[in-house]
Amino acid sequence: MQDLLAQIFGISFLAIFIRSFVPLLLTALGGLFSERSGVVNIALDGLIIFGALSGAIITKQIEPALGPLSPWVGWLAGAAVGGLVAWIHALLSIKYRADQVISGTAINLLASGVPPVILAALYGSSTESPKVEYGLPLWGVGELRFSPPVYFAFVLVAVIWYVVYKTPYGLRLRATGEQPGAAASMGVNVRRMRYSAVILSGVLAGTAGVFLSIGNLDSYVRNMSAGMGFISLAALIFGQWKPLGVLGATALFGFLQALSIQLGGTDLLPPTLVSALPFLVTIIALIFTGRSAAPKALGKPFDG
Amino acid sequence: MTYLPDSRPSPVASRIALIVSAVAAAGLVLTPLAVLGRSFDGNAVLLHLSGAALNLTADPQVRLPSSGTTTALGWVTLIFMLATLVGALRRERWFWITGLLGFATALAAVLLLNGVLNAESARIAADTTLRPGAKRTLRNFYGGGGMNLGLFLPMLAGLIAAGAGLSARQVWWDRLNRLRSLLVPTVAIGLAILVGAIVVLLVQPAVNGTGAALSLWGGWLAKTDLVYFVYSTLFAPITRLNPFLDSLKLATPLIFTGLSVAFAFRTGLFNVGAPGQLTMGAIGAMLVGVYAPAGLGWLLLPLSVIAAGIGGALWGGIPGLLKARFGSSEVINTIMLNYIASAIFIFLIGSETFPFLGREYNMPFKAEGFEARSNELQEAARLPTLLQFFNVGGSGATVMSLGIVFGLITLALGRWILGRRKVKNAGVLAFVAALVVGALTWRIGVPVQIAGSQLNASFLIALLCVAGFGTLMWRTATGYALRAVGLSPKAAEYGGISVARNTILAMTFAGMFAGLAGTHYVNGGALDEYRLKGNMPANVGFDGIAVALMGQSTPVGVVAASMLFGTIDTGGIDVDLKLEQINKDIVTVLKALIVLFIAAGGFLSRRVTDPPPPQLLKAVEATGKPDAARLDAPVAKTEQGTPLPNVGLSSENNTREGGK
Repeated sequence: MQDLLAQIFGISFLAIFIRSFVPLLLTALGGLFSERSGVVNIALDGLIIFGALSGAIITKQIEPALGPLSPWVGWLAGAAVGGLVAWIHALLSIKYRADQVISGTAINLLASGVPPVILAALYGSSTESPKVEYGLPLWGVGELRFSPPVYFAFVLVAVIWYVVYKTPYGLRLRATGEQPGAAASMGVNVRRMRYSAVILSGVLAGTAGVFLSIGNLDSYVRNMSAGMGFISLAALIFGQWKPLGVLGATALFGFLQALSIQLGGTDLLPPTLVSALPFLVTIIALIFTGRSAAPKALGKPFDG
Repeated sequence: MTYLPDSRPSPVASRIALIVSAVAAAGLVLTPLAVLGRSFDGNAVLLHLSGAALNLTADPQVRLPSSGTTTALGWVTLIFMLATLVGALRRERWFWITGLLGFATALAAVLLLNGVLNAESARIAADTTLRPGAKRTLRNFYGGGGMNLGLFLPMLAGLIAAGAGLSARQVWWDRLNRLRSLLVPTVAIGLAILVGAIVVLLVQPAVNGTGAALSLWGGWLAKTDLVYFVYSTLFAPITRLNPFLDSLKLATPLIFTGLSVAFAFRTGLFNVGAPGQLTMGAIGAMLVGVYAPAGLGWLLLPLSVIAAGIGGALWGGIPGLLKARFGSSEVINTIMLNYIASAIFIFLIGSETFPFLGREYNMPFKAEGFEARSNELQEAARLPTLLQFFNVGGSGATVMSLGIVFGLITLALGRWILGRRKVKNAGVLAFVAALVVGALTWRIGVPVQIAGSQLNASFLIALLCVAGFGTLMWRTATGYALRAVGLSPKAAEYGGISVARNTILAMTFAGMFAGLAGTHYVNGGALDEYRLKGNMPANVGFDGIAVALMGQSTPVGVVAASMLFGTIDTGGIDVDLKLEQINKDIVTVLKALIVLFIAAGGFLSRRVTDPPPPQLLKAVEATGKPDAARLDAPVAKTEQGTPLPNVGLSSENNTREGGK
């Protein structure tokens, strides 16, 4: 038993934990902006995929010209594409008053169709992109070496906490999600707040995707997100739409994901069933989460 | 857009006619009129309105069929289109005539050209000097010819302009108005096709077999032909019998999953869990079909089908229960259950042994061998193919039973006659009569020529589900309660309808429909074997969302949308084969775009898609007071609820506490 515990919870476990934790954290923080402004963002999973795909492709395409600088440009491109796709979701939900859940689902469906089409056109393979020469650099010591988005994510928690609670932008954001009518009467441009928040969520989810494709591995692989976007959304609810709550909730889900990866390598439980563990716990966690903390105007188009 | 009592076409109708006729005229001049022949991989000989033929095939000496009449008719069509344009510009009363004439001449051009191409094929077939291989290539070459954008656009535009012009008359306005609910899906498909065309142009270079570089004009013609080629291949299966039956086979699971999503929509719930429910249904069907005692005989099949329904119902009921009891979002829960179902699926048939607490156990459900699949179903648990099912001929010959046809005729006649005499329960009586007639005439049949279609009897189960959906939703108290919860949970609760109970019920039924799709793959052997197989495409569950939205959550709409999607799925495989850079995922993109544009209401204004009822406008006009706008009961009855409940909103309200 002692051996087994040591086998599961070694230093490598910590590394795996951080690698599963960070994309969830980035995505959930993005979702926090969108949902705090009153726009349901079920498209997060698709946004991760778009970010991962464009990060890998741009890096691959500009490598010959820029060399080691290219993954940084790839990161920017992934974040920008994430923001752009999120803008489509924003346009539909805010301007055209679409049902936000359906519009988000449409983005997710696009994310399952567009990558194979682009990959087949560029590289002739519909499942993965060719490996990039230069991934994002790894910083750290020993086994604990991570690419920059990891450090970026942890800094971001503090920044977002400050932005949401201590700046005028954050106040307007929260007001927009709670009482858009009241916010508008005080001169807040509700639509612009919502656009900016949804696009920001795309930028962050795109960054999570970039971390998956060129920060963690060195190419885009089909269905790379593996449901992370949805788990982040659940973590956002479980964390009661608060930056520190989200940090805790994503840490929990990241821990479970790392645990299921580690347990899969042992003969303790069937690895296929263990891989479903994070999803099962997500359902259970949602049972014990009230919706009372949800932004009051979540999912409602603004008329004013 | 509402009817204005004015004998001239309304400004909006004129503008529509103006735009479409301008596009059609531009299409006639700027795109290829027709294709005089096309090889398998898309290389074509393009005919332009000027009469010039652009040969993009590898063989510069290929014999071209005569095309003089086609071009001449093209010019006549252009004149009619320009006349329509002028008429629409001046809001004349007559432009529907020129529009219709333009449609007719373009149609005549297409028919004439097809005649010429058929004659050419016949000539090749009769030619004895050719080798069989070359013969087939040449016949396929001429068979691949036909109209192109230059004739297709005027046909479409002519019809639209005619409709727009005629809308100035009350009778036609009423007729067109009845089709209004098709507006959003149609516009959404149109926009999706436009965006899809841009994607095609971006990823696929022009098909050019000559090896020589194209001029700017030639390149443009080749590019526009490419768009037409891709879409005509996508929609081709609808025009011929055998590919059509293939597309029905692909449509069958879409009907099930579409019904599943539509059922939940009607109750204001969004079921994203059809893939998981389908998987659990398939597992249920497999467990009963393989392991139930063989002594059950013919009961095995119905039991196995029921097990599929129960498997799905269970997987749909869980999120329903969680939503009703704890208020957790059914959207996230169904997605999570998809992943869990897929893990169970792989666990059962993925490998022969599994570790548990340090020991290896055998997995009894997986068949031996490398492939991920279960053991084979017992003979009695298999669904026949429709060919077997309807075949009443003896050995060898295929004779289709006409029992169903006679039964349907009896049903229609019976309902009409009994309905006119105001007999009680006319529908039920007619149905019984139809059953009797169908059974009596079962042995009567007609011989047909069909090359082994794999369409299986789960298609009939799907149609039964369609009928069941319609009956339950619109003919029973349960359905009334379900729809009431979908339209307004709070009002339903106030009216004594339990929101919690109906939430669970709706998700259970939705899951059952999706689960029954498992019978298509397991009992129906749609994947070429009567087993649960690892390559089962559970993702058709997501297509169910697009199907339900396209079909406006009505049973008939779901069937129509499924058949459309089944068609482009089948055509997508052809496109994949014929063109190098485009794979069949372009179909997935098209479906996603359709969902996107339907979500946006086709970018149409609310006044167009959902106008105030005409009675209301008339009343306001007559009295000049808005008070007069109250609807009388029969009118109010015909005003149906919005087809798309706002699921984003209701996910807040559908909790047991009624959204406290």
